[in-house]
Amino acid sequence: MLWVDKYRPRALDKIIAHEEIAQNLKKLVSEHDCPHLLFYGPTGSGKKTLVMALLKQMFGPGVEKVKLENKMWKIDAGTRTIELELTTLSSTHHVEMNPSDAGFQDRHIVQEIIKEMARNRPVDTKGKKGFKVLVLNEVDKLSREGQHSLRRTMEKYSASCRLILCCNSSSKVTEAVRSRCLNIRVNAPTEEQIIKVLEFIGKKENLQLPPGFTARIAAQSNRNLRRAILSFETCRVQQYPFTVNQALPPLDWEQYVSEIASDIMKEQSPKRLFSVRGKIYELLVNCIPPEIILKKLLSELLKKLDSELKHEVCHWAAYYEHRMRFGQKAIFHIEAFVAKFMSIYKAFLIATFG
Amino acid sequence: MSSDIRKWFMKQHDKGSGSVSKPASKPATAVPDKPSPLSSQKPVQATQENSGRRKTSKYFTTSTAKEVNSEETVKEKVEAKTPPKRKTRKSIEDLPDDIKPSPAKKLHRNDDDDDDDFVPPSKDKRSAEVKPTKKMKTGSGIQIISSSHEVDDHLEDETDEKDSETPLKAGGRGKGGRGSGATAGGRGRGGGRGGYMNFGERKDPPHKGEKEVPEGSPECLNSLTFVISGTLDSLEREEAEDLIKRHGGRVTSAVSKKTSFLLADEDVGGRKSSKAKELGIPFLTEDGLFDKIRKSKPAKAQMQEEKKKRSSEKMDKPIINKSPRKVEVKDDKAVSIGRKDAAKNVKSGISPDKRKSQSGDRSSLTWTEKYRPKLPNDIIGNQSIVKQLHDWLMTWDEHFLHAGQKGKGKKQSDSGSKKAVLLSGSPGIGKSTSAKLVSQMIGFQAIEVNASDSRGKADAKIGKGIGGSTSNSIKELVSNEIVNSSSDWSKRQKSVLIMDEVDGMSAGDRGGVADLIASIKISKIPIICICNDRYSQKLKSLVNYCLPLNYRKPTKQQMAKRLKQIADAEGLQINEVALEELAERVNGDMRMAINQLQYMSISKSAINYDDIRQRLLSSAKDEDISPFTAVDKLFGFNGGKLRMDERIDLSMSDPDLVPLIVQENYINYRPTSIGKDENGVKKMQFLAQAAESIGDGDIFNVQIRRYRQWQLSQSSSFASCIIPAALMHGHRETLEPGERNFNRFGGWLGKNSTMGKNLRLLEDVHVHFLASQEAKLDRATLRVDYFTLLLKQLTDPLQMMPKEVAVQKVVEFMDAYSLTQEDFDTIVELSKFKGHPNPMDNIQPAVKSALTKAYKQGSSSRVVRSADLITLPGLKKAPKKRIAAILEPVEDGVSEENGEALAENEEENSDSEDADDLGLGTNADQKPQLDLLSNKPKGVQVQLDLKNNGKSNVKKKTPASKSRASEPADKGAQMSGSRKRKK
Repeated sequence: MLWVDKYRPRALDKIIAHEEIAQNLKKLVSEHDCPHLLFYGPTGSGKKTLVMALLKQMFGPGVEKVKLENKMWKIDAGTRTIELELTTLSSTHHVEMNPSDAGFQDRHIVQEIIKEMARNRPVDTKGKKGFKVLVLNEVDKLSREGQHSLRRTMEKYSASCRLILCCNSSSKVTEAVRSRCLNIRVNAPTEEQIIKVLEFIGKKENLQLPPGFTARIAAQSNRNLRRAILSFETCRVQQYPFTVNQALPPLDWEQYVSEIASDIMKEQSPKRLFSVRGKIYELLVNCIPPEIILKKLLSELLKKLDSELKHEVCHWAAYYEHRMRFGQKAIFHIEAFVAKFMSIYKAFLIATFG
Repeated sequence: MSSDIRKWFMKQHDKGSGSVSKPASKPATAVPDKPSPLSSQKPVQATQENSGRRKTSKYFTTSTAKEVNSEETVKEKVEAKTPPKRKTRKSIEDLPDDIKPSPAKKLHRNDDDDDDDFVPPSKDKRSAEVKPTKKMKTGSGIQIISSSHEVDDHLEDETDEKDSETPLKAGGRGKGGRGSGATAGGRGRGGGRGGYMNFGERKDPPHKGEKEVPEGSPECLNSLTFVISGTLDSLEREEAEDLIKRHGGRVTSAVSKKTSFLLADEDVGGRKSSKAKELGIPFLTEDGLFDKIRKSKPAKAQMQEEKKKRSSEKMDKPIINKSPRKVEVKDDKAVSIGRKDAAKNVKSGISPDKRKSQSGDRSSLTWTEKYRPKLPNDIIGNQSIVKQLHDWLMTWDEHFLHAGQKGKGKKQSDSGSKKAVLLSGSPGIGKSTSAKLVSQMIGFQAIEVNASDSRGKADAKIGKGIGGSTSNSIKELVSNEIVNSSSDWSKRQKSVLIMDEVDGMSAGDRGGVADLIASIKISKIPIICICNDRYSQKLKSLVNYCLPLNYRKPTKQQMAKRLKQIADAEGLQINEVALEELAERVNGDMRMAINQLQYMSISKSAINYDDIRQRLLSSAKDEDISPFTAVDKLFGFNGGKLRMDERIDLSMSDPDLVPLIVQENYINYRPTSIGKDENGVKKMQFLAQAAESIGDGDIFNVQIRRYRQWQLSQSSSFASCIIPAALMHGHRETLEPGERNFNRFGGWLGKNSTMGKNLRLLEDVHVHFLASQEAKLDRATLRVDYFTLLLKQLTDPLQMMPKEVAVQKVVEFMDAYSLTQEDFDTIVELSKFKGHPNPMDNIQPAVKSALTKAYKQGSSSRVVRSADLITLPGLKKAPKKRIAAILEPVEDGVSEENGEALAENEEENSDSEDADDLGLGTNADQKPQLDLLSNKPKGVQVQLDLKNNGKSNVKKKTPASKSRASEPADKGAQMSGSRKRKK
C-alpha cells in the first residue's frame, strides 16, 4: 500500500498537521451533534482526512464499514426523465458523494437524491433519533443552480441530517450556503509540518534520511502534503538508499507542461501555437483537469518571465480561467491564453530587443 | 543621380541574385519578406519546380529552345520597339509573371489577332525574362538611354523585372500553396496514370488570388472554345471558367476539333493535353489568357496608365470606364469594338420596338405556359422515357381491360404490365407536361388530380359507389366500369388519371397512398403517378405497383437551345453562353429557367453573362453547402468582401461544425488585412483576438445549449465564425511539412470523445481505489497526484527486478488497491505523452505474460471486484450495469458466512479456475474474457434470486478467503458481497 494511505491518521488525536483544528473539532462533536460544516482549503491539506477522523469521533468505528454503490437514478424532471449515475460511499451513519460528477445536471442530484437521503431519519439502537451525515465533495464545482437548491435542503432537513461540504475554494460557494455552515479553513500545511510528517514516515519505515532531503521534498511539494508523501515514496522506489543530491522525480504531467512553457517562450508563431494546441490536447486527453493545466502553465511561464510582464500575464490567465468556467470547451480558452501570451510576449521582445 | 541609383541597384542585384534580403526600399516593399526558417529552402525548391515545369511539356521545351536561338533578334526588337511600347510592357510586367513563355501558343495568337502590334514586345519581354539576368540588364540599359526622362518610373519597372527573375521572388510563390516536399508529389501526378485527377487531389493554384484578374471587352473571346486542364497558376478552375464565359468564350470539358485553346499552366501529360497535341490545338497559359483579355480592352486604359506612369504612380488597376479619352483611341481594334458597340446599340435600340409590337399579341400568359411544349417531341430531353410512356399507354387497354377480364390482369409482377406508371424526377423538367401531352396525343382524356384535391382514404366499401357519402372522386373514376365497358361505342372517350405530386400526400390525405394502391388494383383506367423523389419513404409501397420511369435532368446545351428559341421569339438579346450558364444555375429546372428569363426580360432587352450570374447568385445560395466550403469561403481571399448576411448564412449553414472547423484552422491563415508584417507581431495579435472571440463563441454556446437561450445563436455564430474569419481571412499556409493545404476537420470532437473514454476508464480505477477502502480521494487527485507514483510502482519492478519477484510484487500491489488488469492498462495509457518514452517499452513480453498469468492465478482467491460492469441476463435488452460491491471489514468472530455462501464460493472458484485454464499462457488481452466468464455465475445467481423473492434488492455474499498480509490483524477483509439494484 502506498504510504500516503498507510500513514493516514484515522483519529483526530493522531493528526499531525492540523492539530489545532482537530482538537477544536473534537470539542465540537463531544455532544454528538454538530452544525453543518464547510471545509475548504487547497488540495492535499488534509480535509478529507479530517472529515473521516471527525466522523469516526462522532459515530465510532462503524463509519469505516463503508460500501460503495454505483447506481442509476431516474429523476422525473417535468416532461422528461433524466437518468443519472452516481457513485456513493456509504456507511450506516453517513453517505459520501460527489454531486458535481453529474455535470450540468447536478441540480437534480441535489434536488432529488440528496433530499431523498436527507429525508430518511435513522433510528439508532437505543431508540433515540439520530442523524445522518452527508458528505459532499467538490461543492465549488457545483453549478449555481445546484448550490441554490442545496440551501433549501440544508434548512428543511436540518433536524435529521448534517451536511459536511468539502471544497477547494470557498469563493466559488455561494454566500447563502457559506452562511449556513460552520466554515473551517484547512490551511496548506507549512513546510515544517510536512517535514515533520515525512520524518515520521521515514522513522516508521526505517529509512536512512540524508540531511535536508525531506526539506527539499517539502519545498518542491508546493505545500501539498499528499504530493510530498507521494513524491517521497517515488524517490524511495526510484533509488534507495537516498543520496543527498538525489533528483526529485517530477510528476509526469508537470514535466509536460513545463515543456510546453519552454516551447512557448522559445518561439511565438502560429506554427508554434498549433503544436502547443496538440500538446494541450494530449494533456486533456490524459484527464488532467484544464484548470490545473492553465495554473501550472502560468506558473511555469512566470518562472521565465520578466517581472515587467508578470502582472499582465497573470491578469490574462485569470481572465481566461474565468471564461473557461463559463464555457465548455476548455481547449479554446487555454489556446486563447497561449495566443494572448504569445502576442504580448512577442511584442515585448521586439520592443525591447528590436 | 539616376545612373547612380541604377548602378547601386544593379550591384545589389549582382551581389544578391540568390540572397534573401533586398535592401533597397522599393524592392523591399515589393518582395513579401518572410523571415521564417522556410525561406532558406525556398530558392532551391522554386528553381527545381520551374525546371520541372518546363521539362514536363514537350511543347514548352522546344519553344524555349527556339527562343534561346532567337534571342539575338529578340534583343534587337526590344531595342527597336521599346520606347513607344513601354506602356504595354508595363502592363504585362505587372503580372507576377510566371516564367514559362510559350511561343508556340503565342505565334498562334498572332495569327488569330489582327492587331499584333502589341504582341511582339510582350513576347520579347517574356522571353527576355527567362534569360540570364545580364541580358536583361543590357536591354534595360538601352531603354534608359533612350527614354531618360522616365527614369524613376523605369527604375520601378526594373525592380519588377528583377523581382520576377530572382529566385527569391520565385521562392515567394513556392511557399504559397505547396508545402515543402509536397512539390514532387504534386507535380509528378498524372505522368503515368491516365491523367485524370481524383477529387480533392487537384491542388490549389500556387498563386491563388495573387494576380489581378483583367477585365476586357465582353466580346473578346467570342467564338473561342477553351478546355481547361490541370492546375492553373492563380485561378481556381471555376474562376477561370467564369472569366472565359464572361468574355464570351465557351468552356468545354473535353478536347475536340472545335477547341480553340487548351488552357494549362503545367503540362500534366494527361489525356487532354495528349489529345490536344494530336489535334494540333494550341496551348495557352493563364497569363496568355489574361493578356488576351487585357488586350481587348480599349486602349484608353493604357493611355491612362501611361499618364499614371508619368506621375510615377504605380496603379495596379487601370480604370477603364471613367476615362474621358475614349475618343483618342487610335487602336484599330478599339475602334472596331466601338463600332460593334454602336451596332449593338442600334440593334438594341430597335429591339424594344420589336418587343412592343410583340407585347401586343402577348397575352397575360406567363412564358412557361406560353412556351409549354405542344408535342411530345418538344419536351427537352428524356425522349426515351416519353416514348416508353407512350407505349405503355397505348398497350394499356389490351393488357388490362380485354385481357384482364380473362384473368390475365393479375400478372402484375410482370414488369411490362404494371397497371400504373410512376414518373419521378426533380421539379420543372416536364413530367406533368409529358404525361399530359402523351395522353392527349393518344386521345385519352386526362384527369388530373393534384395536391389541391382531397385524396384521402375513401370509404372502404367501394360497393356503395357514388351513393356512399365518403367515396371520393378517385374511386369513382377508377371504378367507373359501367361507363367504360357497357358503352362500346368506338368513339368513347377513354380517360387517364394523372395523380400529380403523390409524394405530397400527407396530413389531410389520410391513408392516401394505401388507397391509391387499392385504386390501382381495381382500376379500369390507366393511372400516371408523378412524384419528385422516387425513393421517398412514403412511396415505398407504391413503387411496387408501378412501372418506374425516372426523368433525368436535360443537359445545359439542350436547355440553352430551347431557351434561345424562346428568347428569339420574345426578341430578347442574349447569347448562348449566358443561356448555358442560366441552364446550369437552375440545376435542370426548365420552368425556373424560363421564369427567370421572363423576369429579366422585363427590365432589360439585352442580357449578358454577368446579369445572369448576378441574378442567380441569390438562388444558388439555397443549395446545401458543406461546412468545409463555408469555412473556405469565410476565410478565403475574398472573405472580407462578403456581405454580412452572406457571412451569417455561411456560418449558419451548420452551426455546430462550422465553428469547430474554424477553430481548427484559423491558425493556418495569413491575414491579408495586416499587410506587411515584418516580425509577425501583428499576426500574433490577430490570432489572440481570434482565439478570444472563439472562446466567446464557446461561452455563447453554453448559454444556448444549457439554458436554451436560442436567441443568442446569431451572436454565437458571430463570435465563433465571423469575427475570427474577418480577422484572419487570407492565404492559407501549411504549418507542418507534408500537410495538405486543405482545412482540417475540427479536432475537438475526436479529442473530446477520447477524453470522455479516458475519463470513464479513470473513473473505473477510481472506483476500484475507493472500493479498496485504503484511499479517499477524488478522481482528479488520483490522476494528478497519484499516477506518477502508481506507474512507478507498477512498472519499475517489472523493469528492474527479476521476473518472479517483480510479478509477485506488482500483483500484491494491485491487490492492495483492488486494481484489475484493465486498470493497469489505463494507468499506463493515461501516463503516455507524445514525445515521451512509453513506460511499457522496457518491459519484456515474457514478463508481461507472466504478470497476466500471476494475476489470473490470484483471481480465484481475490476479493470480488467491485463495481464492474456486467450484463444482466434475463432482461430483454440487457443494460450494462455496475454491480455495486460492498466491502465490509467484518469484525473478528462475527462471521456471517454460512454453508450456502461457502458453496457459492466453491462454485465460483471452480468457475474461475475454468476460466484460468482457458486463459493460461496468453497475454493481457484475454483478461476481459476472463472477467466475463467469472461474472456469469453471479449474474445467473442474481436472476434466480430475483425469481425467488421478486424483489429488486438482492444481496449476494461471496466470502473472500484471502486475507491480506498488509491488513492489520484485527481486521480481516474477508467479507464481500455484491449488491445489485434493479433500476
